[in-house]
Amino acid sequence: MKKSLLAAALALSFSAHSVFAQDLIFPPGKDTRFNWSSYDALKSEHLQGKKITVFGPWTGDEKTRFENVIAYFEAATGADVVYDGSDSFEQQIVIDTQGGSAPNVSIFPQPGLASDLAAKGYLTPLSEKAKEGVLKDYAAGKSWVKLATFKGPHHKDHFYGVFYRADLKSLVWYSPDNFADAGYQVPKTMEQLKALTKQIVADGGTPWCIGLGSGAATGWPATDWVEDLLLRMQPPSVYDGWVTNKVKFNDPRIVDAIKEFGWFARNNKFVYGGTSAVGTTDFRDSPKGLFTSPPQCYMVKQASFVTAFFPKDVEVGVDADFFYFPPFASKKDLGRPVEGAGTLATITKDSKGAHDFVNFLRSPIAHEIWMAQGGFLSPDLKANPAVYSNDIERREGKILLDATTFRFDASDLMPGRIGAGAFWTGMVNYINGEPAKDVANDIQKTWDALKKN
Amino acid sequence: MEQLASALVYMVIGVSVCAFYFYGSNFLLDKLFPTKNRAVTIVARNLRITTRIRPWLFLGPAIIFLTFYLFYPVVDSIILSFYGRAGKEFVGLSNYSWLFSNDEFLESFRNNMMWLVVVPTSATFLGLVIASMTDRIWWGNIAKTLIFMPMAISFVGASVIWKFIYDYQSAGNTQIGLLNAIVVFFGGEPQNWISMPFWNNFFLMVILIWIQTGFAMVILSAALRGIPDETIEAAVLDGANGIQIFFKIMVPQIWGTIAVVWTTITILVLKVFDIVLAMTNGQWNTQVLANQMFTWMFRGGGDFGRGAVIALVIMVLVTPIMIWNIRRANQEMEGR
Repeated sequence: MKKSLLAAALALSFSAHSVFAQDLIFPPGKDTRFNWSSYDALKSEHLQGKKITVFGPWTGDEKTRFENVIAYFEAATGADVVYDGSDSFEQQIVIDTQGGSAPNVSIFPQPGLASDLAAKGYLTPLSEKAKEGVLKDYAAGKSWVKLATFKGPHHKDHFYGVFYRADLKSLVWYSPDNFADAGYQVPKTMEQLKALTKQIVADGGTPWCIGLGSGAATGWPATDWVEDLLLRMQPPSVYDGWVTNKVKFNDPRIVDAIKEFGWFARNNKFVYGGTSAVGTTDFRDSPKGLFTSPPQCYMVKQASFVTAFFPKDVEVGVDADFFYFPPFASKKDLGRPVEGAGTLATITKDSKGAHDFVNFLRSPIAHEIWMAQGGFLSPDLKANPAVYSNDIERREGKILLDATTFRFDASDLMPGRIGAGAFWTGMVNYINGEPAKDVANDIQKTWDALKKN
Repeated sequence: MEQLASALVYMVIGVSVCAFYFYGSNFLLDKLFPTKNRAVTIVARNLRITTRIRPWLFLGPAIIFLTFYLFYPVVDSIILSFYGRAGKEFVGLSNYSWLFSNDEFLESFRNNMMWLVVVPTSATFLGLVIASMTDRIWWGNIAKTLIFMPMAISFVGASVIWKFIYDYQSAGNTQIGLLNAIVVFFGGEPQNWISMPFWNNFFLMVILIWIQTGFAMVILSAALRGIPDETIEAAVLDGANGIQIFFKIMVPQIWGTIAVVWTTITILVLKVFDIVLAMTNGQWNTQVLANQMFTWMFRGGGDFGRGAVIALVIMVLVTPIMIWNIRRANQEMEGR
């Protein structure tokens, strides 16, 4: 008994990844919407039997989809790519790099963290060719290159990573049926959005579902609110200054943006469950209120990836739709700003295979395979929007490609201790009743202490 | 499934390597210095040699592991505490001065002290009371098993269970959380227990008390059984009542064991980490030292210097209690 169990265990552990590695979900060459030429080009790289380890934040469904993409790289080059995903990527990657057991390729959700590790010398810069490729192929290529350029261990700027998969933050999700039943119109300005919020309360409903809960990352959804509102209240230069702390966190302009978020979230009538529920409600659970009958709430402001957490029977595009988080009519000169985010593929352990794999991740086919599976937005101009799995994502992709002012999620750019620490805690405390000014002072204090180091 | 399989494989490999080492090294020693079928003088000499070497063979792995996993990290932490965030540039005492002016540190220190007072006291007290009561009822063993069971649950597992107990839904909705369901049943307003500053610390402490009471109960129950019956009989004959017997006859006789249980839990409490991480991650003013250390050490790019300073504070707090605990345990042993 024991022997056979051990044999089975051994067989399982050795066979598990090779079983589903070779199945290509879209047969190469068949569907002409894909850029098969970029797949065929891969075949010139020979990596037979070379092992490439990849570590990223995607688990569950997203892991499966990414592994489907990886399968194409394996089929073309013969390499053996092992992907591992973790919910606590941010902590794990720090431990792995400093402990000397880094994977070949790491996919960072926060460029700020990548920049930290780059300064410590744990990242390998990419080639000039890769940099030019991004400049040329990506929409607003300059800004994507700038976002992936960090100071290395010798205080010199290098280009460190390729953005693979973007998220669009400035979206408000709603149920078209509920809006139609109640006779509400999609608001075109922030003033209309606020009026609609009050209108829903007057009609006896609850306008918003807001959840800040996210395990160890609790608080981050509130940072998106503040960032999006700041982009609509102040010129982008203030936003940029805020990211680098040239504009202090307790600057009145920032405090105003926090208070503006409070207008929505710190009003018991505006949020489902009242303000006290906001802090502990999981952000993954918050959209569910849109689809109950009667609806628990009418709107959820969340990034494009939130559709993954909609109930199974909800058809995106029919039962759920989004509108662009609108700008203030009173601040016309600020245009239509868009806030987004993205995951950055970098090399944490140098090898030829690692470079080839990162190059693969900026090729159109790597984008298209995931786009076609759903839940993926691409800033790559060469990736064909026709392969998006649904209209919603195609429309989101268009917003991304057409953005006049595109800004990356500020909390992901700030030093890790702020953007993935003090800012979160501050937002949790703000929701719990602390004044905006105090919260901002606390965060600035942490930032000051950080600079002394 | 894959993880389960590899965990199983590693477990089997680990156990076999250990068995092989102890059996093999012992066998080798006996082969090198045979104690059978030789001249008496040789046998005597070999016996002397083997008895001198054997303990080291058996202690060897433990000593090596302790050096690598205990001694080296301590020394390295002390060194790191004088260095900057990447552990490369020397910064003198600035990490220390940062620490004592840091509000979050003061908050976690205060919280840790509260944990320190509440958890060992409650767990030991409850354990003692339950141990003495379950000895007298017929279903005592069943009760003991139930109370001991949480000991087998990992801290994170326990936190998940308690998350369901503390879960909050706004008024008017079905309460999934046990505690709020009870509150609502009796006509109260549901409360968000986890985000209720100050009191939420105690709600987290309850989890550890729940886990540790079983431990205290088992040890104290054994100690109570060790009390000579004559002393209790004598007290009964002298007309002492139940409470007097418990506090004046039984407790003084097991005072040493109580102290060991108490300090053991105290040390555990000083290191409390998993529960806070899983329940609140230090939000809503529930930060504790170990979680703060983890945060500084590994989150947001990591800061080895500051992380190490907090680690040292925890070590300094734990060490005296640990020394006292070991002394105490040794004295107990000698008494037997």
